[in-house]
Parts: sequence; structure tokens; C-alpha cells
Amino acid sequence: MAREFQRGHKAKISDLTAGTDLYVGVLITAPGLTFDISCFGLDADERLSDDQYFIFFNQPQSPEGSIQQLGEQAGDTQSFRVTLDRIPAQIHRLSFTATIDGNGQMSQIGPGYIRLVAGGEEVARYPFNGSEFTTERAVMLGDIYRKDVWRFAAVGQGFDGGLDALLKNFGGEVAEEQPAAPAQTPSFAPPGGPAPGFAPPPAPAPVPPPAPAPAFGAPQAPTIPQQVAPVATSPGAPVAPPFGQPVQPPGAVSPPGVPEAVAPPGAPLFGQVPGQQPPGVPGQFPSPGGSPQVAQVPAQPGVQAALQPHRETPVTGRWGLQNHRLVRAQLQAGGPAVLARQGSMVLYQGKVDFSRKSTGILGRAVGNATGQELELMRCTGKGQVFLAEDASHLHPIELQGDAICVSAENVLAFDESLQFEVRRIEGHGIPGGALFTMQFSGTGTVVVKTHGTPVVLPVTPTTYADSNAIVAWSAASQVMLSSQVRLRRTAYPGHSGETVNLQFRGAPGNFIVVQPYEV
Amino acid sequence: MDQQMIAGYAPSPMAVRMENHGSTMLKVAMASGQDLFARTGSMVAYEGYIQYEPNPPAVRQAAAEWITGEGAPVMKCSGDGILYLADYGADVVVVHLNNDYLSVNGTNILAFDAHLQWGVEKVKGVAKFAGQGLFNVTISGTGWIALTSRGNPVVVDCGTGEDATCVDPDALVAWTTGLKMKAKRSFKASALVGRGTGEAFQIAFSGQGFVVVQPSEDSTDRLRIRG
Repeated sequence: MAREFQRGHKAKISDLTAGTDLYVGVLITAPGLTFDISCFGLDADERLSDDQYFIFFNQPQSPEGSIQQLGEQAGDTQSFRVTLDRIPAQIHRLSFTATIDGNGQMSQIGPGYIRLVAGGEEVARYPFNGSEFTTERAVMLGDIYRKDVWRFAAVGQGFDGGLDALLKNFGGEVAEEQPAAPAQTPSFAPPGGPAPGFAPPPAPAPVPPPAPAPAFGAPQAPTIPQQVAPVATSPGAPVAPPFGQPVQPPGAVSPPGVPEAVAPPGAPLFGQVPGQQPPGVPGQFPSPGGSPQVAQVPAQPGVQAALQPHRETPVTGRWGLQNHRLVRAQLQAGGPAVLARQGSMVLYQGKVDFSRKSTGILGRAVGNATGQELELMRCTGKGQVFLAEDASHLHPIELQGDAICVSAENVLAFDESLQFEVRRIEGHGIPGGALFTMQFSGTGTVVVKTHGTPVVLPVTPTTYADSNAIVAWSAASQVMLSSQVRLRRTAYPGHSGETVNLQFRGAPGNFIVVQPYEV
Repeated sequence: MDQQMIAGYAPSPMAVRMENHGSTMLKVAMASGQDLFARTGSMVAYEGYIQYEPNPPAVRQAAAEWITGEGAPVMKCSGDGILYLADYGADVVVVHLNNDYLSVNGTNILAFDAHLQWGVEKVKGVAKFAGQGLFNVTISGTGWIALTSRGNPVVVDCGTGEDATCVDPDALVAWTTGLKMKAKRSFKASALVGRGTGEAFQIAFSGQGFVVVQPSEDSTDRLRIRG
């Protein structure tokens, strides 16, 4: 199973996989933005001493082919193949980076990741999203580096200055060499783009700290002119004299640290970090006549553009997730039916019939016992049915002859081709007197819903779960009730509230799924 | 205090009038002369000088039907500064209308520019089934709207199939112009004998256009419940 990394985590690659032929996939997307994802092969001093090891779309592989860029595939925005044992000795670190092409900032990105895949199996993943970043325009996502052995590190460090700041970071003193690398590339922007050119800005931008503190601080201030100036001068925006100075071309921002580059305190500059406003001084807010420096029109106006990121995704197959909270079932005329929780349909297209499916004793028993109804409906016909409930996370689980137990409250829908039987776990202390579970077996798909991101735990001799938080478990593991009996509980008021738990036992390989939510 | 942990949540500089801050908070750059209508009670923070006017006369004219004893569900915001709005953790979607027309379920609207043309209408045929009246706000012109959705919304094109697209009214967020809508009941004789499927009625859309749905059937108006 893939190991999840967080920012700053490191691991030996030999601990993750025995293989040395790695696939590195990066997913990074944001509405209306394009990203350049590249790999820097750095020497022992973390310098890009040989620009043949700057792997990007115009130079898709290193001279000996140990690092190759593969392009978009398998759900990744960009992917690389890295053959560790062929990397020359002078290369000590491969740094995978993403930079925004054009205007934009990293806080706009959606959920993304960098992952390592070896032998067709994902072994490591570092997920990130826009909330981890602010105004950065480039980010170092992860490093594969040599320290005795090859290791992987989740970096997640951003640079306000974009690709040029990144090159500067890797190029350091050898500023003369940096233009040489891009000189092989006539234009770094895709055709049709604003072609911002690749030359570093005339004023050297210092590398700001990755996550500037929201307090007033010198490092943050210079970034604001860089961010706002291009926007204010973009077409359609009211051209206000920025920062109370004569209009400058965007590239001619004064070197940071020089006082003129910092906005005077009274300037009508919105979006500053709050700490930079002199607090408690009325009148510092913009004078009534001052137009705010925001564009009135987005980069791509119109309803269609705004809703583009949320479009229905064309998924193939019978069950397709539209996003992690909405699933689409494709029904064929005369094909097998889908059983779904009543009321879970949000939309359907085509000729679909809904009829009540009797669940026998189950529905009533569950309803009476827990107050939660498990009433199913049968969807037949031809068309697509979109199912969701309470914006909970959905997980289609495909069974191929194996079996799984799911808590009845967590079943959203399943194929009618699956066999299911109802199990009742009784015990003193379980709310409602019993926990109803459905054991599914056969071939087909069950869609399980969870509140929040669930955790999958292996079953060990000491695996316990709260009966309210348990979602599912592999059918081969055995469930028993464990209660902590303490004299104190009866003697004193105020116990922990965690007195009755489910204990799971099973051979290695069994698992349980728990949600971060107790009904 | 070590502010490294919270540093990532500082607002980014505004580039356009409306932006998301995270997925569930809306950030609006306010300026005098560019007023905004926002759901009453949706303000979570503001910087600068912003004034709020409940029950604005313009709303009383345009949305007389919508107003209950508690007053109009929108307030007029004017002034200079940055306004932060949210609706109990619902996802926020920012839409810029470019001489377009959008019809939004009343509970799913968060804010819109005051200069847009708008009106409130009752969804025909549906209100009498859904215990709560289903109001929708029709907005047209050029300007900004922010919608809320419980969970990530999905946009479905209605023009692809020959059959109508049927939507659960509780999950409906918005739809575009040019769609024909009618209430549809999927009652059957069997449903009357036994018990229903939980999907008693839908709204059927047909024609060219798209509908936005949320992955939740929670259409309660949280802002209004709390008042």
C-alpha cells in the first residue's frame, strides 16, 4: 500500500520498494492555469552544474536516458521515469518542481500529489493542495536524493518568484549559465499564451521563505508589487496608478528591499496580509475615489468557464466517480439492476425506473433499532443515475469473488448481482442494542459512504474500533465485543464515554475501515 | 508567537472582484459604487469600511414573495474593503456572468452584484409537493455571482440525451436559460400500495443547457434557520 508523506517527510527508497526503476507522477491542476513540471538534476552542492540534467518538455531526457519525461498519463499531469542505478555519480539530487505558466498563484491549485510507482504499484504519495500555499508561483514538490542510499523527500517548498527564482535557487552564483539553459528553448510558454519570455527579471529576486508569516515582515512585502502589478495592467482592468507611483512596466519592479517598491501605507492596495495595514488607523482605508486594483473580469469570463472545473466527467464503466462525493451508475436496458439507498438519487438521465425494494426484516429492524432507515430502491432501465448522500465521501469497492462486511448505515448502493446477508452484532452498550452489517459477496461493486476520509487499518491481535465509527471490514476477520469494566465507572460520575468497543481478530491481510465520525 | 503554522492561511492578494479563499469561503473586493447583495448572516469577516443594510427597498420590490416574517434573506453591502462570506462550510463556486442568464435555487445563493438584473420566482408545480416552497432567483446581466453547494457540485449537460434530465429538487443548485422545466412525479400504483422509493418527484429539464447539482439532499437554509 502506498505510504502517505507529509511536507518534510523523508524515507529510503529501499524501504519503499526493492526496485530502482521508478515512475514519478505529479498531479497539479488549477482552473485556467497550466503548469510546467520539470526535474532538476543537481550536483552535490545542489547546483544545476550541467544543464543537460534540467529535464523539461523541451529536453525530455538526460543524455544517458536515466531520467525521462513521459508526459501526461494515468491521471498524472506529468510523469517521469527514473532509473536510479543509471544516474551518473555526479548527480546527487533530482528535484521535481512545478511552475505556473502565466499569471496565477499556488493557492489556486486543487488537490494534487507527487507519487512514486514501482512495478505497477504506488509506493509513496505526497498529497498537497492550494491551502498549503499562498502567492507562490513555483513549488519544489519532492526530491529523490542520494545520501549513502537513494531517498525520497516530500518538500512542498514554494517560491514567489516563479521559475526564475527556482533557477536562481539552483543556479546560485553561476548566473551566467542560467540563461544558457533556456536559450535552447525558444519560448517557454505554450503557443497562444502571453509568452512572458524566459529571461529572469532585471532585478534579482531573493528567495522568500516558503511560508511567510502573516505578520508584518520585510520578506513578504516585495512580493506584493510583483503579484499585483501584472494584474492591474492586464487588459480590461482599470489602470490605476499602482502604489502611488508613476506606472512602471511590470518587469521594472525595483529590487526588493528598496523602500520605493513597498506600497506606501495609504495606498489602496487590497489583499495585503492584514498585519501590514497599520492597525487601528482610520482613514488608511482607501479614499472613496480610489478604485481597487482588482480586475472586474476574470481571465475567462462567462458561466461556462466558471463552471468548467465542475463539469460531469466522462467516465467509462458501470460505476464512475464524478468527484469523491458523487457516483454515476450506468444502466443498460435489460442489464442488471442497481440497488441504492432510498432518496440517494440526485439526478438521472434516460429512462430509469425506480421501485421500492423490500429488504425484508432488515429495513424495519435497522430502522427500529437505530432510527436510521435502510430502505432500498431498485433502479432499472437505460440511462445514468447520479447517487450521493449528505455530501459524504463515496468509495466504490469492486468485489471479485471476495467478501466484505459493511455497516448498514454506510451502504449507499450496490449491484443487484451481489449476494448479501444481514448480520446482527448484539451487545450491551451498542446504541440501539445492535449493529447491523451487510456481508456482500460475489462479483460486483458496493459503494460505501463515509463521513470524512476513512482510515484502513490492518487487523492485528489488538485492533479495536468504536461501533459508531466502524465502516467496513474484510469478511474473514472475526468481530467480538470488548468492554472495559471498571468499578470506578459506577462509583464516580463522568466516564470516558468509550466503554464498549469492537475488537477484530483475523489472519494477517485482513483490514478494517474506520471513519472520523461517530454517528 | 510562532506563526509558521497558520501562515499558509493568510489571504492572497485579490486579483478579481470575487475569489475563493479555500473551497468554502468567499472573498469579495468591495468598492464604493459597486454594491453587493449577500445572504443575511453570511458575513464572517471584513476589512475596511463596509456597511450592511438589511431589508433593502430594492429587495422588497424584486423579491416580495421571498420575504417572510423574518425579513428578506439578503442584505445590501456597500463600502470599501474586503468582505469574507461563508455558509456553514458549504463549497463556494464563483461564477462570472458575461451577459448570461442563470437561475439559482434560493438557498444556494451566497452573494451577487447589485447591478445585475434579478428576480425571484416560485418553481411551478414543485412548491406544493416540497413542504418548503422552492424559490429560485433568476439573475442576468454581466457581473459576479457566488453559489454554495453542499459538497463538490457537478455540472451536467442536458442536451446530450434524447430523454429529459430529472433532478431531485433538494439537490438542485442552478440551471441555465433555455431549459424547459416541469415537475415530474414518479409515483406509481405500486408506490401507493406499498411505500415510496423516497424519490417521489423530480424536476425534469429538457433542451440545450446545463444544470448544477450538489451531492447532498440537504437543502435546509442554514442561514435562515439561525436567523
